[in-house]
Amino acid sequence: MILEELAFLAIAVVAVVTALLALLTRELVHTIIWIALFFVDLSALYFLLQAPFLGVLQLGVYAGAVTILLLFGVMVTRKRIFSREAATGIGPGPIVLAGLTLTFLALGSEELPQNGVVVHAYDPTLLSQTLFNADGPWLLLLGLVMLSALAGAIYLVREGRE
Amino acid sequence: MDPLAYAPEFVVLAAALLVFLADVLGVRRLEAFGGIATGASAVAFALVLADLGTPVLSGLSTLPAGVLDAPLGPGITSFTSLGLVFQAIFLLAAFFVSLASLSRPSAEAGSAVFFGLLLLATLGMLLVALSADLIFLLLAIELASISTYLMVGYSRKEARHLEAAMKFYIIGALSTALSFFGASLLFGAYGGTSFYGLGPAATPIGYPTLALVGYALLIAGLGFKVTAVPFHAWAVDVYDGAPTDVSAFLAGGTKKMGIFAFFLVFLAPLLILGHTPALGPRGFASALQLTLGIAAVLTMTVGNLLALLQKEMKRLLAYSSISQAGYMLIGVAVASGPAVAGATFQVLAHVFMKTGAFLVVAAVASLGVGPLIEDWRGLGPRRPYLSLSFALMLLSLAGVPLTIGFVSKFVLFSSAVQAKGPFVWLAVAGLLNSALSVFYYARILKTIYLDPPAPTDAPAAVPAPAAGIGWGRGAAILLITVGIVALGIYPGPVLSGIQAAASQFVFVGG
Amino acid sequence: MSAFSPAGLLALSGALLSIGLFGILTRRNFILLLISIEIAINAAVLNFVYFAAFAGATGGLTGQAIAVVVIGLAATEVAVGLAIVLALNRLRGSINVAEAATLKF
Repeated sequence: MILEELAFLAIAVVAVVTALLALLTRELVHTIIWIALFFVDLSALYFLLQAPFLGVLQLGVYAGAVTILLLFGVMVTRKRIFSREAATGIGPGPIVLAGLTLTFLALGSEELPQNGVVVHAYDPTLLSQTLFNADGPWLLLLGLVMLSALAGAIYLVREGRE
Repeated sequence: MDPLAYAPEFVVLAAALLVFLADVLGVRRLEAFGGIATGASAVAFALVLADLGTPVLSGLSTLPAGVLDAPLGPGITSFTSLGLVFQAIFLLAAFFVSLASLSRPSAEAGSAVFFGLLLLATLGMLLVALSADLIFLLLAIELASISTYLMVGYSRKEARHLEAAMKFYIIGALSTALSFFGASLLFGAYGGTSFYGLGPAATPIGYPTLALVGYALLIAGLGFKVTAVPFHAWAVDVYDGAPTDVSAFLAGGTKKMGIFAFFLVFLAPLLILGHTPALGPRGFASALQLTLGIAAVLTMTVGNLLALLQKEMKRLLAYSSISQAGYMLIGVAVASGPAVAGATFQVLAHVFMKTGAFLVVAAVASLGVGPLIEDWRGLGPRRPYLSLSFALMLLSLAGVPLTIGFVSKFVLFSSAVQAKGPFVWLAVAGLLNSALSVFYYARILKTIYLDPPAPTDAPAAVPAPAAGIGWGRGAAILLITVGIVALGIYPGPVLSGIQAAASQFVFVGG
Repeated sequence: MSAFSPAGLLALSGALLSIGLFGILTRRNFILLLISIEIAINAAVLNFVYFAAFAGATGGLTGQAIAVVVIGLAATEVAVGLAIVLALNRLRGSINVAEAATLKF
C-alpha cells in the first residue's frame, strides 16, 4: 500500500510540473514535449487506478494522436496565430472560479472517506459490453459529433474550389 | 421501442447525410441544399407537433409523470412534453434560418457544408431536448456547438469570420471542459448521471459539497452557452463577426438549448431539495436559487446597459440578446410550473424576435447599408415593409402590448410575483430592465423613421432596386412578422399548451 | 487491488483544472490555449476514472465508459480547433497586410 501511495505522489507531482512547464516555457516545441510527458504521466495514473483500458486509450489518443496534431499545428503556424481577441472575451471569471473550486474541493474532500478507498480491477470486456449496450447512446452521439467535425474541418482546410 | 418515436431526429439526420452525399456526387446548386434543409426542418416540425397533439407516447404509468417514454436506453433519453415543445421551437429557428439562407449568393462555395452543418446542429439541439442523462446532454450540446463553430467560419476567405470562429471555439471548448468537470463531480457525489436518478431517486446526496461545486461549474459551463453575465463577453464579438445568417441561428437557436439544459440540470435538484429537506441540507437549494437569481438580474442589467452604448446594429442586437437570456433565467431560478412556462414562452418569443431581427440586418446589409445604426437613417420611407417588420420586432423585444414579447414577459414576471418572497424582486428587476431597454429600441426606431437620410446618400449612390433582399429572406421575415403579431394578439392555445407541458415537467421533480 | 486517499486525487484534479484555467487566461498563442483546455478536460477525465473506482461495481464501469467518450470528444475538438487555425493561417499567410492589421498584441 505504501508503495502505491508513493507512486501516486510521484505521478501527481510530475503531472502538475509538466502541465505548468508546458504553459510557461518559451519555445512552442518544448511545450509539445512537456504536454506529451503530461499525457503519458496521466496514463500511468490510470494504470495505477486499475483502469488499464483507459491507460492505453490515453497513450494512443492523447500521447499519440493529439500530440502529433499539436506538433503539426505548431510547425505549420509557427508563432503566427495569436489570439488577443479570444483572451479578452473571457474576463476574470475563470480565476475566481478556479479559486472557489479549489477551496470547495478542499472542503468537499473532507466528506469523503479519509482512510483510503479500495480500487478494484475490472475486466475490460465488461467495459466494452456497457459501452456498446447500456451506454450505447453516448457512443452513437460521439459518432455524430465526429461526423460534424469531419465534414466541417475537411471543408475548412481543403484548398478552395470556387 | 417505437421506431417512429425518433422520426423527427431521423428526418433531420437523413437530410444532413443527403446534403453531404449530394455535395460529394457533384451537385452544386445552393437551392437544392437549402431546399433539403428547409423541407426537412418543416417536416420534422410537423412530426413534433403531431407527437405533441396525440398521446402516441406511452409508459405514463411506469415512469414519473411528464417522463413519457425512454426507448433508447433506460435513463438516457426520455420524451417529455416540455422537451417536445422545445424541439418544436428549435425546428422553427432552423426552418427560418434555412429558408432565409436560400437567398445567400448562389455562387458561394461551401453551401452544402453550411446547410449540412445547420442540420447537424439542429439534430444536436433536438437531442438536447430528449436527454435524460447529464453526459448525453453534454454530448448533444457538443454536437450543436461543434457544428456552429464551423458554421461561423465556413466562409473561409474572410479573416473576420474565421477570427470569430476561433474565439467561439475557444470559449466553447472552455465551457465543455468546465461542464464535464462539473459533471464528473456530480457523478462522484451521486454515483450516476441520469437526471431522474439525480433527483427523485430519493437518495440523499452523499457528498453535498462536491455536488455544490459540480453544480457551480455547470452553471459556469452552461452559462457560457446561454451568455449569462460573468460569461457573456464572447457573444458580442462572435455574433458581430459571424455571417449574419449564422448569428441569427446562434442567437435564435443554439442559445436556447442552453436554457433547456438549465431546466434539465437544475429543476430536479431545486424542486426535490427545496420541498423535501430530509433529502439534503436545507441551504443547498436556496444557495443554488440565489446564485441563479443573481445571475439572471446581472445578465439582464449588464446586457441592457451595454446595449445602450452601442453604435453598431449587430452588436446592439447581441447585447439585447444577452439581456433577454437574463429574463429566461428568471424561470430557472424561480423553478415553478408557471415560471418554467413563462421562460419557455419567452424562448419561443425570442426565436421570432431575435432570429427575425438578425435576418432583417442581413437583408439590409445585402442592400448595401453599412453596419452602424446611423447608416439606417431614413430607411423607413425607402423600404416601408422591411422597416415595418423590424419595427414590430423591436417593439416586441421591448415588450409592447399586442406583440409576442409582451405576452411572454407578462407570463414570466407574473409567475415570479406569484412565487412570492424574494422572487418578487426578480420581477421588479425585469420590469425596470424592460423600461430601460425601451430607450435603445426607441432610438433605433427614431433613426429609421424620423432622421433624414444621410446627405451622401444621393439617389445615384443607392443600389439599383433590382438588388432585392431575396425571396427566401423575404418569406422568412414575413412569416416571423406574422408570428409576432398573431401570437401577440391571440396567444391562447400555444400558451396553454406550453403551460400544461411545463406543469407536467416540473411535476417530475415534485 | 489498491487503496488511495480521495483527498489527494481531488487535489490533483483541482490543481490541473486551475492550471488549465490559468493558461486560458494568460496565454495568447492559440496552441497554448488549446493545450490549456486539454489539461482541464484531462482533469475531468481523471475525476471520472477515479470516481468510477469509488462508485462501486456497476457505477465503476459507467465512469470508465464516460471517460472513454470524453477522451474521444476532446480529440475531436482538437482537430476542429486546428482546422480553424489552419484556415486562418492560410488566409493570413497569403495576405500579410491583414496580418499586420489584425494582430495588435
